[in-house]
Amino acid sequence: MGDKSSGMPSTLVDQPVVPGDVVLDVSTLTNRAIKLGGGLRQDADLIRVTKGGRLRFSKPNKYWVESSQMRYVPFVEDTVLGIVIDSKADNFLVDIKGPAIAFLPVLAFEGGTRRNIPKFEEGTLIYVRVVKANPGTNPELSCTDASGKAAGFGPLKDGFMLECSTGLSRMLLSSPTSPVLEEFGKKLSFEVAVGLNGRVWVNAESPSTVIVVSNAILKSESLSSTQQRIMAHKLLEKVH
Amino acid sequence: MEQRLANAWRMTVNEKKFIETALLSGLRIDGRNLYDYRKLTINFGREDGSSEVLLGQTRVMGFVTSQLVQPYRDRPNEGTLSVFTEFSPMADPSFEPGRPSESAVELGRVIDRGLRESRAVDMESLCVLAGRLVWAVRIDLHILDNGGNLVDTANIAALAALSTFRRPDCSLGGEDGQEVTVHPPDAREPLPLTIHHLPVAVTFAFLSSESIVVLDPTHQEEAVMGGRMTATLNTNGDICAIQKAGGEGVPQSVVMQCLRIAATKATDITSKIKEAVEAYNTERSLRKIKRHPVPNVSADVGRVKENKNLSFNLKDGDEFSGNQMPKISQLKLEIRGNDPQSDSVGGNTGIGSNMKGGITSKGGNTGNFLGGPSSWDPYSKGIDPNLLRSSLASRGVSVPSKKLEDLKREKHIISEAKTEVPSSDNKPTSLIINSEGGLPTNRKKTLKDAVKPKHKRKKRGSASTNGS
Repeated sequence: MGDKSSGMPSTLVDQPVVPGDVVLDVSTLTNRAIKLGGGLRQDADLIRVTKGGRLRFSKPNKYWVESSQMRYVPFVEDTVLGIVIDSKADNFLVDIKGPAIAFLPVLAFEGGTRRNIPKFEEGTLIYVRVVKANPGTNPELSCTDASGKAAGFGPLKDGFMLECSTGLSRMLLSSPTSPVLEEFGKKLSFEVAVGLNGRVWVNAESPSTVIVVSNAILKSESLSSTQQRIMAHKLLEKVH
Repeated sequence: MEQRLANAWRMTVNEKKFIETALLSGLRIDGRNLYDYRKLTINFGREDGSSEVLLGQTRVMGFVTSQLVQPYRDRPNEGTLSVFTEFSPMADPSFEPGRPSESAVELGRVIDRGLRESRAVDMESLCVLAGRLVWAVRIDLHILDNGGNLVDTANIAALAALSTFRRPDCSLGGEDGQEVTVHPPDAREPLPLTIHHLPVAVTFAFLSSESIVVLDPTHQEEAVMGGRMTATLNTNGDICAIQKAGGEGVPQSVVMQCLRIAATKATDITSKIKEAVEAYNTERSLRKIKRHPVPNVSADVGRVKENKNLSFNLKDGDEFSGNQMPKISQLKLEIRGNDPQSDSVGGNTGIGSNMKGGITSKGGNTGNFLGGPSSWDPYSKGIDPNLLRSSLASRGVSVPSKKLEDLKREKHIISEAKTEVPSSDNKPTSLIINSEGGLPTNRKKTLKDAVKPKHKRKKRGSASTNGS
């Protein structure tokens, strides 16, 4: 379980792990920086699992634990969809489906100054990035990417939002493109914004397209890729 | 405070606008038509009077229990009915444990009114001792998941639970007829409630200002709606109750249209509830048969005639089997070598005895069953009246026409038995012969049996069936 020779990825990659499992022993590795994603924690020399799920690895050196729930645990650098609850002097209070309400500083926008603070009414849907997320504190968000550009962050207009599990969000964001989105994309034109916190926003010209796509997305969680394609074809026939 | 803020469910501006825009084109967000119900599933628990209803995402459990209480002073010969609701916090983030919220009280009240005012459940049959003891029926509804339209779902759960509920049978006794004995379910079969009709609740939501009406709103549609109306009606078209608490004003024509739609939907739902209840009752009676697989279904067959519900008097059956078994084992030794004897013995006992024999063997081995196919078979539709009659014939009541038929069948069976005997020494074969051979003695026992326990006779209505 804990045996790692230097330079080799953990043998537990793609295996289910539970909190307490030791994934890596840092001292055995050559001096390389390792990036830890959600669900992993460094305990002196050992990397331990803190959240149950599947261990994932991506080259060159990123490890994280993936699990699917209806609630979200905020993690830094995740892009999520938040709903504005309230606006205070310095922050907007935003709900991101996590254990605590997140703060979005009023200046965290591209070219944001005290003069041009955006006005978000209660219930606005925004696409944001998590900047700070520590257990027990309120997470902090930002509407800019690391370099300060807008990059698509900000309020989303019109369309329809649905709530799903975190596993489905990750599946929709995976590459190659998820089969359900691909099949619909061939025939219909629509836009989709996926938040890693289990929220998906769909927008299209006609309401029927939006309805078809949102229902298909919700149903596709338990289907394999071939099943998803079949379902997409059936629904497309009905619409046309 | 912050925790509550974090856990509340919120609706975005986008969703609100979208639901209304889609409805203008006649589309609902889950793809239904404006007047379509979501998928309805009714499940029952193992106990009588427990139901679980799923309407789309909404899930409600209903439990019915009863208790003997003193009646109300102004209604001394009527039972009572009460509805309790519990909005579990796991159903919705806005449900708090403790005091029921306004909507919880309203839901309980709507269901109660639908059942009570329309007199759906017969209260007078729940009276045991006028002025002293009546049955109080209590319906508990637990909301497990709020996916919208709790009223309809809870109502269906209540109706389903009431339809499958059985209350213990009780009888009056004692010197002045004032002593009440409540019989446990094993002693006497519990009785169902008398339900005259099923009042079904149908909820409409009025959305946006274009007076768009939708049936069976989901959670999101409920958050957007301007007003709602619940109409409770039954299949006969009687309106049992209407509830419209606040919300947008609605023109009279719209209300009438809603009632018309509700009438058709009520018929649909009533038939679904009745189907589910039937299936449950069949399964329940099958469960009762299976519980005692010993070969005494023939004894029970005789009694089925009196009992409408196909629920067998198992206690009696048990006694019978208990007495029969030792006789059979005795006879095993006698009969084994005696083919001609079995012939004569089997001669005039009629089909009933063969059935018994057949069933005995059935208990032991499926391959050698010789009696009629349907009377013992738990998967059959019912009892073949011919076989019934012949079973009664076997006990001494003479039914001449049947006897000839029986004799014919007899001969066939005996010849079969004969061929089987020399071929193998298997238990089942010997069992068949044994039962046939053992029957004269059994017949004697049957008569005794008929006379023995008093309550058996009382249960029946006519003493003749036992052949005494």
